[in-house]
Amino acid sequence: MILLQLLINGLVTGCALGVVAISFSLVYSTIKIFHVAHAGVYTLAGYIAWSLSTRGVPSLLAFAGAIAFCALVGAGIQQFLYRQLERRRASHLVVLIASLGMLAVIQNLIAGIYTPNILQFQIGWSQTTLRVAGVLLSYTQLLTVAMGIAAYLGMMFFAHRTALGKRIRAVASNPFLADITRLEPKRVYVIVIAIASAVVALPGVLVPLDFGLQPYSGVNALLTATIAMIAGGIGSISGAFFLAIGIAVVQNLSLLVIPGEWSIGVTFFIFVIFMLFRPTGLFTAR
Amino acid sequence: MSAYLAVSGVNKSFGGLQALHDTNFEITKGKITCLVGPNGAGKTTIFNVITGFLPPDTGGVTFQGRSLDGLTRQQIVHQGIARTFQNLRLFIDLTALDNVLAAIPGQAGETPWGAIFRPFHTAAVQTRMREQAREILDHVGLADRANDYVRNLSYGEQKLLCVARVLATGAELLLLDEPASGMSAGALDNIMALMRRLQTEGKTLLVVEHNTRVVQRIADEVLFLHQGHLMAQGTADEITSDPELAKIYFGGAI
Amino acid sequence: MDFWYTYIVLAEIYVLLGLSTNLLVGIVGIFSVSQAAVFGVGAYIVAAATMNDTLSFVPALLIASACGLALNVLVTLPSLRVSGDYFVVTSFGIQLLATAIFTNWTEGTGGANGLPGIPPPDIFGLAVTETRQFLVLSSVLLSLGCLAFWLAMRAPYGRLLRAIREDELAVAAAGKNILFAKVSAAALAGAFAGSAGGLYGSFLSFVDPSSFDLDASILLLTMVVVGGARTLTGSIIGPFVLLALPQLLALVDIPTTIAAASRQLIYGVLLIAFMLFRPQGLAGEKL
Repeated sequence: MILLQLLINGLVTGCALGVVAISFSLVYSTIKIFHVAHAGVYTLAGYIAWSLSTRGVPSLLAFAGAIAFCALVGAGIQQFLYRQLERRRASHLVVLIASLGMLAVIQNLIAGIYTPNILQFQIGWSQTTLRVAGVLLSYTQLLTVAMGIAAYLGMMFFAHRTALGKRIRAVASNPFLADITRLEPKRVYVIVIAIASAVVALPGVLVPLDFGLQPYSGVNALLTATIAMIAGGIGSISGAFFLAIGIAVVQNLSLLVIPGEWSIGVTFFIFVIFMLFRPTGLFTAR
Repeated sequence: MSAYLAVSGVNKSFGGLQALHDTNFEITKGKITCLVGPNGAGKTTIFNVITGFLPPDTGGVTFQGRSLDGLTRQQIVHQGIARTFQNLRLFIDLTALDNVLAAIPGQAGETPWGAIFRPFHTAAVQTRMREQAREILDHVGLADRANDYVRNLSYGEQKLLCVARVLATGAELLLLDEPASGMSAGALDNIMALMRRLQTEGKTLLVVEHNTRVVQRIADEVLFLHQGHLMAQGTADEITSDPELAKIYFGGAI
Repeated sequence: MDFWYTYIVLAEIYVLLGLSTNLLVGIVGIFSVSQAAVFGVGAYIVAAATMNDTLSFVPALLIASACGLALNVLVTLPSLRVSGDYFVVTSFGIQLLATAIFTNWTEGTGGANGLPGIPPPDIFGLAVTETRQFLVLSSVLLSLGCLAFWLAMRAPYGRLLRAIREDELAVAAAGKNILFAKVSAAALAGAFAGSAGGLYGSFLSFVDPSSFDLDASILLLTMVVVGGARTLTGSIIGPFVLLALPQLLALVDIPTTIAAASRQLIYGVLLIAFMLFRPQGLAGEKL
């Protein structure tokens, strides 16, 4: 029974990480920036939701507020940081360092305002549990799975079926051509980061309902997400999503034999295996 | 006698585009061979295949009777084949001299331990190497520009520096990708004279060139490439006087 | 006076680390946030070896340096073979993994409590107990480090690395082995970081995971960025400036609970500001 419970927990965590992975992948494959600060936006979402809900805002409204706020922060990072760096013809490395600086700023602003200690949400329904076939499931977990599947399907639909999604894919495949046509990559980039930030805010508010809020937790999530993106094949939405689930399941099942504090080792081990044997990933986009 | 360099049955495609289609040709030692053809004929792709920058899908290249299959770019340079790039790819934040030095093989102090534990030996060898690099620069006519940064050189000088850099590798077969394009008339004479000089010194040249007058003046042999396939081979006069080829080349504009 | 000596010794240790980070980030141009992990490995090795008298300081420091070298080669070799951004992931992964090991492997590292009571170094029977003496030791080692860095950079090796940073394909066309050049730079960086770690532990006589976490790696990167990439002067200036910062912050009344966060916040702001307005740092070359 514990096996089944761990499997379910893995699937739930995987859905959350999968959404982090597809949102990161959207930025990476379009703007070609290794957007490390994404981890900060992810963490920020939970804290904003927490602030709103402790001030009496109904929980769903608080979530929506956090999502909107994150979209704004993301757009701001593109407009006032990445865009400015591009104007200065900054190298890839410089952008990466600036992004890391932004991550440090966001995380430590949070730690300064909310203290580095763990915070818990006080939302009644989130801890209500159901027992299905001997497995405990909280409303939060159910919501996380629903959100994960919805975000995945939404992203697939968005990328392949909508005009904006097609435009983004065109810009991603050839920014130079897009620049001289009327696709306006500069504006597309802002929209892309805003969307990715809103999407990453979804797991950003749901995961802390169960696990609590910590200012520095985003980096771990981002690491797993980027590993999933690479292992899934860069540019593949499905690859990133399903590999994230796979990794989270393996991570949870490994709890049977390896204590939880080593789970980072398990994740990293998976990455090394992929790097040695299939560096282009499973679902390589052609 | 086997050919100096032989390209045989090479196919290479990118996605749906067939860049090279069963390409076969041979070049002779000590000659200047020009590779001509319309844009997209696969000339640069041939260079990339010969120098190991792209693996061919099928077929292969032999150099002095030895197959180059599976050799790394580095090993191919050591076999004696070096190339330039159409977009130059010089190190613009280094001086002209350092650009040449960076291509000289087998220098002491090219590993951290050599540099740190044998500093005097490294310095002594460097003095010699610097002399050698100066001679190469002098050879291409850039002696007085040795200590200038590449970004301060004119386009023509940069092109000469590219030739200096392949010479520095010590290669016998030089693959020059459009060495004369975009040059003024005076600079053009300069680079043509240089190519002739290299030939008399025993180098073999394979040159991608668009300018038919340059081809007529320097080529001992011309290879005409069209849609990744060798269409014709002959002297410059034979190729340029063929109306069929001219039609392909100029798109029937004459 | 001891206060100043301590400041200088620590800054010197960080200059060694700064040289290491500068080699990787500034000269080879690969992003690394795992140099603190290598630093930590060096520190724990020397701590463990000298604490139970397995080895004396000098061989322990050599082993620490060799382990740093090996670790960096192991880390860079597979990821550089593939592509640049894989190394970002590797680097984050190694750093988080190292933190997990430092914190959770209680028998080896003392866990979160760290290892107290690391004996002072003895150099062939000569005990280095006072800060003043340690200053001599760290200055000598730093001078050796700077000399090695300077020699490597002025030799053909330094030119090769510069050329690689400018245009890898052109270097490959010249018949040079790019992977070897990059990995050997990482090896050199690892040896520097490993020995800096050994010095650090012996100097403070105490190590704990907080000195070697991701935040420490960010601090290192900030030192290189502020000092300036690719120059010896830049690597020396950065640590002296950045280590003075906590002292300045102590003058401002910040509650201790958020002191660490405010420091890291400033590092983040510095990283962004320098990348935007002065990518060459105070005394370096443009990144």
